Amino acid sequence: MSPLSKKTNNEIFPAIFTENITVRFGEHAAVDNVSFSIEQGEIAAIVGPNGSGKTTLMKAILGLVPSRGEVLVLGQHLHDVRVRVGYVPQRFTFDRDFPITVEEFLRLAKREQCSNSRITTVIKEVGLTPLALSKRLGNLSGGQLQRVLIAQAILNDPAVLFLDEPATGIDVVGETAIHDVIEHLNKEHGTTVLMVSHDIAMISTLVDKVLCLNKKLLCSGPPRKALTEKSLHDLFGSHHALYEHHQH
Amino acid sequence: MLFMNIISIDLLYLPFIQRALIAGITLGLLLACLGVFATLRRMAFFGDGVAHASLAGIAIAILSGLTPLPVALVWAVAVAIFIFLLERKIKIPSDSLIGIIFTASMALGIILMRFTPGYQPDLISYMFGNILAIQTVDLWVTTGITILILTWLWFSRNKLTFMSLSEESAAVAGVAVTRHTLLLYVSLALATVLAVKMLGIILVSALIIIPPATSRLLAKNFRQYFILAIVAAEIAILAGLLASFQLDLPSGASIVLAGTALFILALIFKKKT
Repeated sequence: MSPLSKKTNNEIFPAIFTENITVRFGEHAAVDNVSFSIEQGEIAAIVGPNGSGKTTLMKAILGLVPSRGEVLVLGQHLHDVRVRVGYVPQRFTFDRDFPITVEEFLRLAKREQCSNSRITTVIKEVGLTPLALSKRLGNLSGGQLQRVLIAQAILNDPAVLFLDEPATGIDVVGETAIHDVIEHLNKEHGTTVLMVSHDIAMISTLVDKVLCLNKKLLCSGPPRKALTEKSLHDLFGSHHALYEHHQH
Repeated sequence: MLFMNIISIDLLYLPFIQRALIAGITLGLLLACLGVFATLRRMAFFGDGVAHASLAGIAIAILSGLTPLPVALVWAVAVAIFIFLLERKIKIPSDSLIGIIFTASMALGIILMRFTPGYQPDLISYMFGNILAIQTVDLWVTTGITILILTWLWFSRNKLTFMSLSEESAAVAGVAVTRHTLLLYVSLALATVLAVKMLGIILVSALIIIPPATSRLLAKNFRQYFILAIVAAEIAILAGLLASFQLDLPSGASIVLAGTALFILALIFKKKT
């Protein structure tokens, strides 16, 4: 039974609740009957091989692709809680010659009740200095751009943050820095985070919960319990030495 | 004012010159503002397509003995909505789709014109542009539609920019992406047809493309980009009209060449800095 019908106090709802989510592209099921819940304040990651439906599942939760099944965010349908949701897409491809500054870019997502000083606060929270606000968006490095995208997503102080492969295209140092930002948001603001990642080793120390996806949900739970040799074999189809890999 | 000194003052008292100037300034503002979003979304070809497609609307109006402008406006809006719907239903690239629809609509216009005997001054004026032929009623229609579109653009500028940079992020943030995209298509179609009488079907897309392209070379931020695009459009229009009045040149071609000269100047300035 859906938590929507049972609970009235917003605080005890799961941050994200899905039941039998299915996404089909013609005859092909990209995501097949996936059900899970993420509690408020948790950091969770959808992991799986390329083409396993990770991004599609996230887009289905966010209403960006048509799907069947039930999705509730903070106990409500997404369109009722959009103001409490932030999203960093996997691909942010734009014309780098386009003349827009970081500050102007951040203001695009700013709601009326969000103060001007919030922009400075947010840019510091993602590890950039206020000097970055006057830079052109196209002049930022990959890591800086990713931080700005996160800054835009958290500008309105979301309760739930969705990140689709936040470390794509950036080096290990940049990836670690992005993970530090995610951890900071979670610890300081209690933000629930659901991220998509292909690098299980990197996120296994960061997240409270993993969701192993290969069209279907193959396993879920805390990384050390869920990511067994068998589940990794089921997920990737070959031996995957998780913790040894991370030590390199 | 330089413009007042160069142009013969007497000319400014002529009603058709006054109408031409007001229409030019109004359309320059409208096309520059829409052009910023059209180029950002890589929709420059859309304006060209709608302008050519409007020939069928003009032909239908001439054959039916109706005033061409309202029929061309309705036809262009219908074409814009058709492109918008097909883009979402058929998986072929947008530029191919626009190319098919605009050439088909233009071909229909040419066939229909075959059934219209004799010389058609209206048709020639729409093909090559004749801003001096703008009537008072055209001016009212142009001003009214411009006010409506600019009001919508003003209140939606952040949403339009946001969805042009990242449609998915904007959708998650609550921007009604589908509605705003449709309104942008319709606005571009209306503005393009309004400007056809000034620049002509063949040249109208120049005012959607050249001022934002000039501005992009000089602007340091989005605010400057917007303002400089408007300034570039207005300078091109006033300089083009001046050349047209004084040297008895076609208005549309003069405006486009003035805009191109401005673009080249901006390019030189950019190279030197």
